[in-house]
Amino acid sequence: MTDSSEPGPAVREVRLGATRAEGGTREVSYVIGGDRGLPFTGNRPDRLLVALEVCDDPQFSPPVVRDYVGDLANNPDEWARAAERTYGADIIRLNFTSTKQRGFDAFSEIAPTMERVLAATARPLIVEGSSEPELDSEVFRRCGEAGEGERLLLGTAEADRYRSVAAAALAYDHAVIAQSPIDINLAKQLNILLRETGIPGDRIVIDPYTGALGYGFEYSYSVMERIRLAALAGDADLAMPVISAPADTLTVREVREATPAEQDAIAVAWEFYTAYASFVAGASIVCVRHPLTVKRLHEALEV
Amino acid sequence: MAMKALDIYKLLPKTNCKRCGYPTCLAFAMKLAAGKAEVEACPDLDPGTKALLGGATRPPVRLVGVGVGERSVAAGEEFVLFRHEKTFSHPPGIMVQVSDTWPEERVRSIVETVRETVVHRVGMDLVLTGVAVRNESRSPGRFAEAVALAGGGSTLPLVLIAGDLAAHEAALAVAGHYRPLVHAATEENREDLARLAKRYGCPLAVRAASPAGLAALTAECAAAGVVDLMLDPAPRSLQDYIAMATGIRKAAIGRTEPALGYPIYFDTTPFRETDAALAAGILKYAGVIVVPPLPPATVAAGLTLRQNIYTDPQKPIQVTPGLYPVNEPGRDAPVLLTVNFSLTYFTLLGYLEASRIPCYLLIVDTEGLSVLTAVAGGKLTETLVADSLRNFGVGETVDHRLLVIPGYAAPLSGKIEDATGWKVMVGPRDAAELAGYLEKEWRA
Repeated sequence: MTDSSEPGPAVREVRLGATRAEGGTREVSYVIGGDRGLPFTGNRPDRLLVALEVCDDPQFSPPVVRDYVGDLANNPDEWARAAERTYGADIIRLNFTSTKQRGFDAFSEIAPTMERVLAATARPLIVEGSSEPELDSEVFRRCGEAGEGERLLLGTAEADRYRSVAAAALAYDHAVIAQSPIDINLAKQLNILLRETGIPGDRIVIDPYTGALGYGFEYSYSVMERIRLAALAGDADLAMPVISAPADTLTVREVREATPAEQDAIAVAWEFYTAYASFVAGASIVCVRHPLTVKRLHEALEV
Repeated sequence: MAMKALDIYKLLPKTNCKRCGYPTCLAFAMKLAAGKAEVEACPDLDPGTKALLGGATRPPVRLVGVGVGERSVAAGEEFVLFRHEKTFSHPPGIMVQVSDTWPEERVRSIVETVRETVVHRVGMDLVLTGVAVRNESRSPGRFAEAVALAGGGSTLPLVLIAGDLAAHEAALAVAGHYRPLVHAATEENREDLARLAKRYGCPLAVRAASPAGLAALTAECAAAGVVDLMLDPAPRSLQDYIAMATGIRKAAIGRTEPALGYPIYFDTTPFRETDAALAAGILKYAGVIVVPPLPPATVAAGLTLRQNIYTDPQKPIQVTPGLYPVNEPGRDAPVLLTVNFSLTYFTLLGYLEASRIPCYLLIVDTEGLSVLTAVAGGKLTETLVADSLRNFGVGETVDHRLLVIPGYAAPLSGKIEDATGWKVMVGPRDAAELAGYLEKEWRA
């Protein structure tokens, strides 16, 4: 008889990316989640991923990042290649920031950009598609289709706009980021809504929204802790891995007002403290924007 | 386990004699339950009841002070494992390390930096705590000199780190009256060091690589008369630190091992990743954190994280409602409605200041709820908007009657127009897009 007393993992496992054997073209794929205890308490696994953001339209990237990456910012594929090979990101977060422009209608650009970025990096992708509800259906469909077979992590589903992203994820077999505004109950509700669309629980990653250090980060920190505690207590609707994207961190006053000589150090410190604390609170993936933060996080996770 | 106030009250004399300093036995019971009073204050309890109540009402993590005066630090008196359960009460002291082998000017300049560094944030001044002096010279005399250079404890709290009893004796002769933390009593030297700490009335850190080893040391030191103790779990890695600290705090608050009911001491200097180690100490239960001299970026981010983690989690941080000018607005500047959740306010303010667009922020009182939750929960209503426009004199400040509302408040746009007579423009949902929106859409 096998030993059935071994408890199952409290946090569900979610696979991201697909190798050739799995039907995609990535050199690696990841399984995140599977945790059975509190973060970093030695109860393997803490499978943690650092994502670096790449924007298709760099004007929505923080100035400190544009200054640092220089010309890379004009080529999302070059930027993605550097994110993997130079900066060491585990996973690339491609953000279609072009959709933030008013009157966006460059739908035909989405598939070529997706294809170029997929060709430029062998790492799995997080794809932030539409940032406007009116664009959702068209943008998510094209993102999902262009990444078919690659098991993207597609974002972002919110309580009042989740159908388009869910439809794209279902049609093309991707996972979904479910974002709620720093509220554990709303996070749970959204997961239930997504489940009702047919998205299985092992293809949902919770984004509880991460405020910047010094600007409400503590709320996000506690919500992430509470989500892990709920998962450990057996709440299946909160038993998904967490993604943290402290996107406002590099636009806070401390970073903007830093002198040019100090700007990168301040930006990286601010982003690092937020990101590392998110891991300690239970995030499985942390998305950062400054390339230098990636290495710092990897080094910190090794000690 | 901790006892509830009513359970404690049943064991009290119920005479309301006031000799404990509280007006009634029930009031005393409530203070005891909160860990804010000592059971000894009641003159009428028999020793058995005292022992029972003492064990159940004492804070599970003892409050231990280091240093004297304005800059002194107290750690401990914590009751929970997670900050959402109850506010973490005593932020960890951050002690910057100097060595007695360093040149005098270097020590002076670091001590000066610790004394003078201030980070101003949301109305609070955040400071580093003190100095940790490490004996690496093998000379008690040089150790005592370095301790004197660090102010001897009279201005900044000190940690004295030495393996040698003679070094501690020399340093305490200089600084012993200022309650420095003596580090560290180990399996080998515990008797001598406990005797020394007792003589000077100083707090003492004990060091062992396992919870059982720590508990054995604290029990012996307490028996020797030193009760202000801290626990150095001698972690091998950061993950080891987090796991050990979590285990210690759990045992303390669950009262399963009272000998672990002391604040944790965490020395980050063995780890190359100072930022990660400092963050781990702040997040996970350290009472005193020893760090190497820190670059300014680390100081700002580290002190901000400490402030964030030790704020009251129950109370939404709120901004005072009102009309806030941004970038020196004129009478034709846009008026942007938002809520008094400080996260919303600061994020918005950040983007608006960066955009340099002159405008007014109209902050209405949603009791600290975000836009989305305030709309959903009925806290953001047309009546509130109308009252706020009137109370804050918005109509007298600008010449137009256009109100930009957050994208998430779009469902209220018609009602707000009806209730206020102002024309409503629905802005974006994301603060990052506000500048672009105003540039394209705003015409006063």
